[in-house]
Amino acid sequence: MFILTLPLNKHSVHVFTTGVEEEVSTLQEESERGGHRGKRRDSDRERKRRRKGRGKVASKDSGEGEEELQRRLEKRERARRKRAKKEQEVQGRERNEEEQAEMTSGKRANTRKNIKNDKTRKMEEGEGEGEAGERNTKRKKKHGSAKNDGKEEDGGEHTVKEKVQEVKKKKHEKVVEASSEQETSEEANEAAAEEDTQEEEVRPESLSPEELEKLKEAVDERKKLIQSLRGKPWPMKKKLVTLRESQEFVEKYEGALGKGKGRKLYAYKVMMTKKWMKFQRDFENFKTACIPWEMKIKEIESHFGSSVASYFIFLRWMYGINLILFGLTFGLVMVPEALMGRPYGSIPRKTVPRAEETSAMDFAVLWDCGGYAQYSVLFYGFYNNQRAVGWLKFRMPLSYFLVGVGTVAYSYMVVIRTMARNANESGVGDDNSFNFSWKMFTSWDYLIGNPETADNKFASITTSFKEAILEEQESRKDDNIHLTRFLRVLANFLVLCCLAGSGYLIYFVVRRSQKFALDGLENHTWWERNEVNMVMSLLGMFCPMLFDVISALENYHPRVALQWQLGRIFALFLGNLYTFIIALMDEINLKEFVRLIISDTMTTYIMLLIGDFLRAVLVRFLNYCWCWDLEAGFPSYSEFDVSGNVLGLIFNQGMIWMGAFYAPCLPALNVLRLHVSMYLQCWAVMCCNVPQERVFKASGSNNFYMAMLLVILFLSTLPAIYTIVTIPPSFDCGPFSGKKRMFDVIQETLESDFPAWFSKVFSYASNPGLVLPFILLMVLAIYYLQSTSKSYKEANVELKKKLHAQNEENKKKNKRAALKAQMDLEEARTAQGAAQQQETDGEENRGRSQRLYHGKNGHNPPPPIGDQERQPPATRAPVPRPYHHGNHRTPGYLPGFSGQSEPRM
Amino acid sequence: MVSPAIALAFIPLLLTLLIRYRYYFVLFYRAILVRIWKDCVTGLSREERAYQYVLTTATPGDPDSILDAFDVWCNKVEFISNIGPKKGKILDRMLMEQGPLTVLELGAHCGYSTVRIARALPLGARLYSVEMDQRNAAIAEKIVRLAGFDDDTVELIVNPSDEVIPRLRSDYGLDRLDFVFMDHWKKSYCPDLQMLEGSGLLGKGSMIVADNVLFPGAPKFLRHIRKSGLYEWKIHRATLEYSKGIRDGMAELVYQGIK
Repeated sequence: MFILTLPLNKHSVHVFTTGVEEEVSTLQEESERGGHRGKRRDSDRERKRRRKGRGKVASKDSGEGEEELQRRLEKRERARRKRAKKEQEVQGRERNEEEQAEMTSGKRANTRKNIKNDKTRKMEEGEGEGEAGERNTKRKKKHGSAKNDGKEEDGGEHTVKEKVQEVKKKKHEKVVEASSEQETSEEANEAAAEEDTQEEEVRPESLSPEELEKLKEAVDERKKLIQSLRGKPWPMKKKLVTLRESQEFVEKYEGALGKGKGRKLYAYKVMMTKKWMKFQRDFENFKTACIPWEMKIKEIESHFGSSVASYFIFLRWMYGINLILFGLTFGLVMVPEALMGRPYGSIPRKTVPRAEETSAMDFAVLWDCGGYAQYSVLFYGFYNNQRAVGWLKFRMPLSYFLVGVGTVAYSYMVVIRTMARNANESGVGDDNSFNFSWKMFTSWDYLIGNPETADNKFASITTSFKEAILEEQESRKDDNIHLTRFLRVLANFLVLCCLAGSGYLIYFVVRRSQKFALDGLENHTWWERNEVNMVMSLLGMFCPMLFDVISALENYHPRVALQWQLGRIFALFLGNLYTFIIALMDEINLKEFVRLIISDTMTTYIMLLIGDFLRAVLVRFLNYCWCWDLEAGFPSYSEFDVSGNVLGLIFNQGMIWMGAFYAPCLPALNVLRLHVSMYLQCWAVMCCNVPQERVFKASGSNNFYMAMLLVILFLSTLPAIYTIVTIPPSFDCGPFSGKKRMFDVIQETLESDFPAWFSKVFSYASNPGLVLPFILLMVLAIYYLQSTSKSYKEANVELKKKLHAQNEENKKKNKRAALKAQMDLEEARTAQGAAQQQETDGEENRGRSQRLYHGKNGHNPPPPIGDQERQPPATRAPVPRPYHHGNHRTPGYLPGFSGQSEPRM
Repeated sequence: MVSPAIALAFIPLLLTLLIRYRYYFVLFYRAILVRIWKDCVTGLSREERAYQYVLTTATPGDPDSILDAFDVWCNKVEFISNIGPKKGKILDRMLMEQGPLTVLELGAHCGYSTVRIARALPLGARLYSVEMDQRNAAIAEKIVRLAGFDDDTVELIVNPSDEVIPRLRSDYGLDRLDFVFMDHWKKSYCPDLQMLEGSGLLGKGSMIVADNVLFPGAPKFLRHIRKSGLYEWKIHRATLEYSKGIRDGMAELVYQGIK
């Protein structure tokens, strides 16, 4: 019994220091009795679990403080003293369990010793169980009696409620895993808390200031715990329980703090904070609900993965920008002109020519932006050069100019800002290394909420694994490199041919349309009149498909292939657009632009209806009477083409930017188009598309789109800026007629509307001598910032490398340690085997085995030759550290001690 | 009149369609155009032509050489939708693993798959092969006998599958089917499977293999096995027989019974 009482004493000392004496006396009684009582196995397991999940719930000091506080609370309430005692008893019993656990572990140590330093946990446990099994029947009996005893002790005062409480406590005991001291402190807390829930509230008035202080500290502690709970390395269950308990505690005592007036104020404050937080949460929800189309996009996201959703988010973003552009042009240019400018018919430029008057209201003419549409605020030509219009003295030409420049500047700003934000988010990631790990751990798209899409995603991940493995194999083989190269060159050649062909076709068509225009449009059919738009839209639609097919030749990685594809489509669109502009360059026809955009929109919608909707309907309903599976097989439903749609959107926007200066109606048109697209495409995608076969994640490609948008923005504003700066405005139309250059309007305003000193300052400021250094400074600043960011990035990469190296090092270390441990284990096994043999030899061998054991550790001279022969590995291995350590912790337990020797002690 | 420029703009579309669906065009040509042409020229059915070729080139009594002859003919000359060598290997493997004693084949066509299955069967196993078409059945019979399998191993039943299945227990004295291979009309997959379930011939562990579930495809069948919960199933993805670019799959079902 010597070994058994040792840890118990230690424990009871601790209790003595923290507990109350009278309680301690009962406790010791209890513990002594508990030494015989049961639940050994349970507590044993619990202990084990506890050991694993031990964490810092609260510091020991504060825990003690809490306990003390709680004790005092108890003392105040003499009436409930008995119950308190019982509480303590329960606690004590729990402590007993702890002690028992200690004891058992001690016993286990014994057992370990008995089975000659067996290191394998499993074996150890098995032995433990075996030993437990020996006493099983005895324990069971005792277990029962223990319960009876407990009841007797409580003097029959137990009500059902109390029993329930006890059970609850036990349960809690099992869940909350903490070190024994912390646990006791927590239990004390719990006890206090539970007691209070059962009885009336603690009267804060009746507490002394220091107690209040303590309580406050405890509450603060709980609050801190709640805050830091998320980062704790605990199992979820425990976290949840701890959180709930802490919250309850805080809830109860928070309001009780403070005195009189202050207390009320405090309670009020707490209440208000809670209300405010709830309001904030509701407001967040409300804000989310207010984001236009958010729910729609989320639904699409769950069905089609984030790549399709990213298109819609992009569309929405575009819509927002266009709304602002529209607001600018509509509010500052079109409305003032319509309300306050000279009315229709007052001057030649605002009147439909007599020859056209008869057909000016025909739909066909209006559709082509002729007739009354042409002679309206929608176009540049309608505006006149009156400096100030209406009773507001609105500076029309100036406003027109500034809005034109402002839209472009705003667009640049928005695109660049978004790009910068995206770049921040993307971080430093290299795609090439750890390919399989990336695939393994990051390929799932957690936003998918549709089983079919999930199936597809699953299949695509599997395929990507297969492909990656194949790729890896191929990269090791690389025998067919010449063929691959040849095919890639061939593919690019084909694409170039296609680009050239489409460019030539557009050039040809534009020239022809100019000829038609010379002849007079009335003499030609509708097809011929709309040839340019039709051809451009059709080419823009079909060529990407061809590129897609051609790119199969190249055998690129899909991500690379996507980028090539986007680049090619980009080149196509740009080429087409520029061919169009260049062929038109001598007389930029604004009507053509608007018509192009309208026809583009129309083609998109019609293709949507035919290619997606009609196809879906046919596939769906013809499938009943068709000889093969239309849905799963050949035509199938269409997939949503993210890249094509994004590029279409981008180019459409480019055309808007290009033409917005000369046709203020364009942003309005675009807003309309985007609005309709949003609904139509949302509907179409949900109704007639199927999830892509390769559902890929959108992250990473976002900035690619933005970069393209930026390039397009630059390229599309280039012609407009060129015309503004170099070409003199025509004398008979537009707000700048009569001026030498368009930007003269600023000069004019400065001279006539601002005081003289201002224009002087402005002229000084625009002096090249001042402007050039400023630009130089800016360039230098940009250079500096860029180089610093680069060095930061390098530092990041460096750190990453270091981390990686350290990781490797750790891994190696662990491996070595594991190897060593394994070796030791083997050694120990053989040693054990030998020792068992010795054991059978008899007790007198004990001394020798001890010597043998020391010999293994290399401290003593080698054992006698006979022993050495029996255990060859003992001399083989170097001194293993963990083994060494483990043995020194239990210095007295030697291999010779057997299980039978314990009772004798 | 549509202007020529607009018509020219459709060329990329045309090219795209041609390239993307080239395998389907090739299949269409080989399986339909060539067949019609040869039917007119020779006056024999496609299966008879195949039989003639096999008879002249293959070694009698050697199933492997007969299968090889079929493969060569279907690859080089004309197209017959046999199970093909690639999917055939998967089938062989499943048969080897399962080692079934009672096998039902729905759709013998001209005997290719019958020979293939019979070849892989363990000793004492029996294969019931169902073929609806009289002429095809005659050819299948000849092929099977040519391969050296007698009546005890392979029994050919000339009847539609939906008539045969209900009578399997009564007329043929079967208690349980270990292995079912489906390669007949894709539309009949689902009703036949349901009939098999209803007949009680399927026991726990019975395997059902269905070819061509993706192309030409048997959507109802797939839907049924997904929903019924009676099977553990998976689809072996492969390409259509004697064609590289058309994706197809073979469904492997293991009957689990009602849990």
